Amino acid sequence: MTRHDLITKSVAMLRLRRDDLIGKDLIGKSAARLRLRRDDLIRVGRVIVVSVVCVVCVVMIASVPRWGATHVLLGIREAPKANTTSAPLTVDQAKRILARTFTAAYLGETTSGAAAQAQLRTAYTGEGLRGVSGRVKLASVQPAVSASLLLAPHPKLLAVSRGFGFPRFIIAQTVASDGGLPILHLLVSPDAATPYRISMSAEMVPPATVEPFDRLSSGSPLVTNGTGPQLTNGTGLTVAPATLLNLYAAQMAFPAKAISKAPFVADSFAVQVRAGAAGAAGAVASQATYTQVHAVVPSSVYAVRQASGDALVFGVLERTDSFAVNPGENVNTVANKAFVLLTGKKLVTKAASITTLEFVVFAVPRSTGQATLVAAREQIVAGSGS
Amino acid sequence: MPASTRRALAAVVAVMGIVLLVVGAWMVFLLGPSGEAQFSATSKAPGALVVPSDVLNAVDVPVRVTATRADGGAVFLAAASSTDVRAILATSAASTVSGVHFPAGRLDLHASGAGVPADIRTADVWRLTATGAGSAGLLVDQSRAPETVVATSGDATALTDATVTLTWDDPAWFFEALAMATIGAVLAAFSLNDLWQGRVIAVRGDVAETKTSEATT
Repeated sequence: MTRHDLITKSVAMLRLRRDDLIGKDLIGKSAARLRLRRDDLIRVGRVIVVSVVCVVCVVMIASVPRWGATHVLLGIREAPKANTTSAPLTVDQAKRILARTFTAAYLGETTSGAAAQAQLRTAYTGEGLRGVSGRVKLASVQPAVSASLLLAPHPKLLAVSRGFGFPRFIIAQTVASDGGLPILHLLVSPDAATPYRISMSAEMVPPATVEPFDRLSSGSPLVTNGTGPQLTNGTGLTVAPATLLNLYAAQMAFPAKAISKAPFVADSFAVQVRAGAAGAAGAVASQATYTQVHAVVPSSVYAVRQASGDALVFGVLERTDSFAVNPGENVNTVANKAFVLLTGKKLVTKAASITTLEFVVFAVPRSTGQATLVAAREQIVAGSGS
Repeated sequence: MPASTRRALAAVVAVMGIVLLVVGAWMVFLLGPSGEAQFSATSKAPGALVVPSDVLNAVDVPVRVTATRADGGAVFLAAASSTDVRAILATSAASTVSGVHFPAGRLDLHASGAGVPADIRTADVWRLTATGAGSAGLLVDQSRAPETVVATSGDATALTDATVTLTWDDPAWFFEALAMATIGAVLAAFSLNDLWQGRVIAVRGDVAETKTSEATT
């Protein structure tokens, strides 16, 4: 193409542009103006439209929450749901809690004054605190518990609760470094703000053993009836935990009451308590009337399901030894050093009572058989006389 | 495949490639080689600072949570299951992280409740805890999700004018972004090249067609 031809064509194009303003085939004329075929121009237009649509789609997708490019790239997802079949504590957490609690228990029992009381309140709760307070108070007249926590520095973690409900528990076992019977401990946390504390401790009764619990990572479920720790119906067990403890308390009364079809096997602890009651009654027979009653402490019952389907049932009974002095009689109580220490009275003329807590642990089978006493401890906590 | 369809397809792929290239390059620039994304917010209101599981467990990598108070007082930082934290804070005053803005690095805070929070330090629900003077930090893994992190005062003074910072880092993010940009660049390059080649062939075809018609006449 010569320069002359180029100028001629340009002039023609200018004329065409002027004609475009009044022409009807805009696409065709535009294509000609751009030196394209009409079909090509249409294709280009389509491509532009499709591209714009694509860009708009990408922008829209990128701007929608949880569908954006950043979400995809960073792997942003919804937070997982809470696993209700897992333990609320890690093993390390539970061990730290045990170490803290047993250290406080040790300090509380080996020191004195307000600091010791504070340590005991840090370590114990409920009937456990009542029991250890009685033990500390009577330390001078009662033999020290052979397997004190200070002699068992390495508690064995047996079970933790399952799920995120409350109350939560930890079951631990200590064995004194100088031998002695293993002790079962139940630690309880009633709500999220309250730390775990020892609710009860009891020496195991030979030759009892504790069947394994579910894995610590999954926790062990409480056998509950929906009314908190106090149980009235233990489904799936040969006997409901509360029924078991009520019957056990009833059969230990003095004067003795017959229990038909006892759901538990006879044990050495009950024999020992009944023998003690009979001895006390005989010793004061000429001066006073002696009775002994046992009652389950409300809200003290915890039943924990074991891996086999059986349950370990913890409970506290309150024993009351009552003496009704015969008219005109005086009972010299000097021989009972614990009573003297608790009441300050060496002579009783009307009545006297001694309150003792009995911490018991039963193994309850799920289908057939009787419950077996696994651990037991008793501790005098109060007395009164007049 | 007809040439027109091929060219349209090439154009679409080119656009997608360019978008991938731009977004990938942008994220490479933002995240850096360490693949770190950091967000923070400051609460002037008194009360606990709460990072809920919606934020804390939104990504399957550990989160570093740092709480800093302007007055230099002690800070107590702890992580626990979300249900426990809800129970323990109850209706106490709290500023909860309710939104995360990327790449602005900003957190939204939602104030709720009233009243001074109880001393939550003695509770046993905390899986992780940290205390520090003026600042405390926790690295929260995702093994026990869903969890919530709470920052409160570690001393008797109320926690006010405190800043919470969340940091996620995953070097894989950097390489993913780099891969995105690279794939985008490759797609865009091939598609644009295809479009260009198609256009040249079409123009040559036009020229040949014109010459043929001239020879005929």
